[in-house]
Amino acid sequence: MSIALRGITKQFGEFAAVKNIDLDVPTGALIALLGPSGCGKTTLLRIIAGLETPDEGQVLFNGRDATLWPIRARKVGFVFQHYALFRHMSVFENVAFGLKVKPRRERPAAAEIRKKVQSLLALVQLDWAGDRYPAQLSGGQRQRVALARALAVDPDVLLLDEPFGALDSQVRHELRRWLRRLHDELHFTSVFVTHDQQEAIEVADTIVVLNRGHIEQSGVPSEVYDVPTSAFVHRFLGEVNELPVQWRDGRRYLGPIDISPAAASGADSSKQIALIRPHEIEIGPVAGGWPATITAVRVIGPIVRLDLCAEGQPANEPMEAEISRERYASERFMAGQTVGLRFRRWQLYPAGGAAA
Amino acid sequence: MAAADLRGAGRRREPGRLLLIAVALTFLGLFLVLPLLTVFVQALSKGLHVYAAAIADPIAWAAVKLTLTVAAIAVPFNLVFGVAAAWAIAKFEFRGKSALITLIDLPFAVSPVIAGLIFILLFGAHGWFGGFLRLHHIRVVFAVPGIVLATIFITFPFIARELIPVMQAQGKDDEETALSLGATGWQTFWRVTLPNIRWGLLYGVLLCNARAMGEFGAVSVVSGHVRGLTNTMPLHVEILYNEYNYAAAFAVASLLAMLALLTLAGKSILEWRQPELRHTVPQLRDRTRRVIT
Repeated sequence: MSIALRGITKQFGEFAAVKNIDLDVPTGALIALLGPSGCGKTTLLRIIAGLETPDEGQVLFNGRDATLWPIRARKVGFVFQHYALFRHMSVFENVAFGLKVKPRRERPAAAEIRKKVQSLLALVQLDWAGDRYPAQLSGGQRQRVALARALAVDPDVLLLDEPFGALDSQVRHELRRWLRRLHDELHFTSVFVTHDQQEAIEVADTIVVLNRGHIEQSGVPSEVYDVPTSAFVHRFLGEVNELPVQWRDGRRYLGPIDISPAAASGADSSKQIALIRPHEIEIGPVAGGWPATITAVRVIGPIVRLDLCAEGQPANEPMEAEISRERYASERFMAGQTVGLRFRRWQLYPAGGAAA
Repeated sequence: MAAADLRGAGRRREPGRLLLIAVALTFLGLFLVLPLLTVFVQALSKGLHVYAAAIADPIAWAAVKLTLTVAAIAVPFNLVFGVAAAWAIAKFEFRGKSALITLIDLPFAVSPVIAGLIFILLFGAHGWFGGFLRLHHIRVVFAVPGIVLATIFITFPFIARELIPVMQAQGKDDEETALSLGATGWQTFWRVTLPNIRWGLLYGVLLCNARAMGEFGAVSVVSGHVRGLTNTMPLHVEILYNEYNYAAAFAVASLLAMLALLTLAGKSILEWRQPELRHTVPQLRDRTRRVIT
């Protein structure tokens, strides 16, 4: 089922949670709503589910206006961050809940319910746990039960609100890949909310970055990561170094490095900043580069992170650069060493505006 | 964490731990066990036959029946009101919410005697509705309806007060999940909300019931003390006591105490019979206890 939002606005008292949002979720898509807390992503998800009513705008399901449909009529599965398992019911009863509350005419026979619940529990690899109670399961297992329960009623749409937020990183990683596989097998339309850019990039087909109630940017993960259209998105999707752009004789400089485009773009006197990701900093000989002192070296698995204090920059705001473990093994950078910096890539934004 | 630390600290500092336990036990003995024992000792002081006679007295039986009737009306009424109020306060935002919370506490704040007088002022012969009631030959004050009204008023807050924090702590996630799975509002209430709050509810009902059976002040004002008709057990105890009939007074009092002990025993049995409480990890049990206490 496809979902479309048209001009969705929602106020909570004085606070505008979402402002005039348009969004299209095609059938079978897996979309991530990404943003910092308070950006409106959960409100948007709850509006799609029918748990909130928008003040303005429309929610369309398959092109039909579903704005005022009750939750029950929407056929959405909703998964909460804290699982919301019914703790007085066994795992089996939790998964069977949606089938057992159907009106008598539509309710499957007991044997059929049993079969369906068993197959769902097998799907989430918990077929051994039917008689357990939620309190006897780990966080990852509980979230899988919650997913099985949501899938039991054959929803057209699966909505997940920070589904892996309460889990430790290893389980989270496993469940992300598992969710992706499940989605590819079952072909439902899914929208999930996260504040974790890594998670969004790893799982989703499309990332929608939200900030203060509006959409900053949406697109496929690599596009949003590589070509951010605003400083906010650039900062939010990974580590960045920020440097003020200096103007000298009508040319742009980062420290001593001339970054003016080949064709002079004319005198643009507006203040700008450059955002550079750690892996876009090149470390080489001092000659011809921006002289900088290495202040710290940290080996983090396959990469090595260097803190660099560049000449003329405040000492308490070191730049961060990343190099590969192999490079580090051959060159042996050490704290206190002076090196020359160059930039492989950078992106310019107006300074001051659109701060995170 | 904090509990474990405390326990560890207690083991290291034995004297402090023993002192605390001793203080708690002494207090418990002096203020709970001793009075309870006294009731039974006094009741049986003149021998078993005096005890039996006091209880078998038809006027005493009328008091027992009236007390149970009043509780049987007041408790269900406050059960429905308490659940509805707690539900509204915990799950919805609306204007006047804090006013409602304050109002629920009113019967706690007002002295029971004043609560009784309110009903005299409203329904008494010279009260606001006195003329209307006389015209239709309805007796409220100095009759059973007045006692029921006063009891409902006094026990108003118990169940709601018990449920509001429980429901607020549980949030709306479970209910929203049930709705998204296709349950109706009614199914959600019976299958999800009610099981989630049952311990708080049970405890609220027990407190409410204990107070409904034991209420003295407000009931005393509106009852009129008609023996065999409008005397509840606490009123009957007082009358016997004022007549220097101590053994009989304590005999009826012991009945009242036994009713209370029975409800507590009933609660323990219910708790013990809950399968998921016996099988699950201590966390859940602790949490349930915390909800109850």
